[in-house]
Amino acid sequence: MKKLILYPSIILLSFSLVHAQDKFYTKTAKVFFKCTKPSSPEKIEGTNKSITCVLDTKTGNIQFAVLMKGFEFDRALMQEHFNENYVESDKFPKADFKGQIINNTDINYTKDGNYTAKVKGTLQIHGEAKNVETTGMLVIKNGKPGINASFQVQLSDYKISIPSLVSDKISNTVDIVIEGNLDPLK
Amino acid sequence: MSKKKIIILIIAILLAGVSLYIYKEYNRKNKDLGKVTADMEIQSSDLIKKFETDEAAANKIFLTKKDFVVAVTGRVKEVVKDEKGYYTIVLGDTAAFSTVRCLMDSMHRQEVSRVKQGDKLTIHGAITGFNKDDLLGSDVILNRCAIPKQLSNL
Repeated sequence: MKKLILYPSIILLSFSLVHAQDKFYTKTAKVFFKCTKPSSPEKIEGTNKSITCVLDTKTGNIQFAVLMKGFEFDRALMQEHFNENYVESDKFPKADFKGQIINNTDINYTKDGNYTAKVKGTLQIHGEAKNVETTGMLVIKNGKPGINASFQVQLSDYKISIPSLVSDKISNTVDIVIEGNLDPLK
Repeated sequence: MSKKKIIILIIAILLAGVSLYIYKEYNRKNKDLGKVTADMEIQSSDLIKKFETDEAAANKIFLTKKDFVVAVTGRVKEVVKDEKGYYTIVLGDTAAFSTVRCLMDSMHRQEVSRVKQGDKLTIHGAITGFNKDDLLGSDVILNRCAIPKQLSNL
């Protein structure tokens, strides 16, 4: 009787251990963006500290969810303009990225180290979806992945228009940095 | 003073007033929510329910009014400190999967050191939205959060 329970339990337990470290996530990933033109008297930049990210290490599937109202700015007026006039967060409260690490097989998630990750996927901002491709860094430390990537987007691709009045301050090209440390999903 | 001089003086004062207003408005920083009166008081479980039932309607209530501040009351499920030292107080019932995540304003960091799991707390914050997620658990997210002194039982 004991053997009947013990052996299947061992097999089931080993299955759960093998699959335990498949998915990693964070709810505190950060996105920092800047689109300051050299002629601008002030910096046009904002930070969002509550990005959700899920990474499936088996498939390389990676997703991010962004709440646009979570972007913080130094000046309240810039934050209001960002929400009301540029990203129209009342109409489009969320942005997201759904993609794949296309060289996922090059990454050994069980071995600590720095790995280059080529990411390809769909970025959705302001109701517009575009294919993006970029290279980022995956740092495995104590068995947990940390992500870091920098890339650029064109505001016009996402139907975000810059009024001519501020065209000397705000650049159509936005530099974005995304980073976060992921924990295993139990 | 001559009539002309009075008119010039009035215009000068008006211009100074307008300039000061523009300067202040341009440089206005986000309000410290620890010191303001909340626009709405709500229990964390009710807040979650509002978003889970009808996200679009909840967005209309909480996201469309400028500087709308909520006072959310609930039990502390977890206190999260991220790699950059920013704190998030997670409110929710131990049994429930959905939570209210309150990103603390960096100026209110020291208050968080006294917060423990299980504490009943009221937090002031600005709602940034609802992350619906069946895998990770859905969350109502707030930022610029502060624990108002008069309501703190810490």
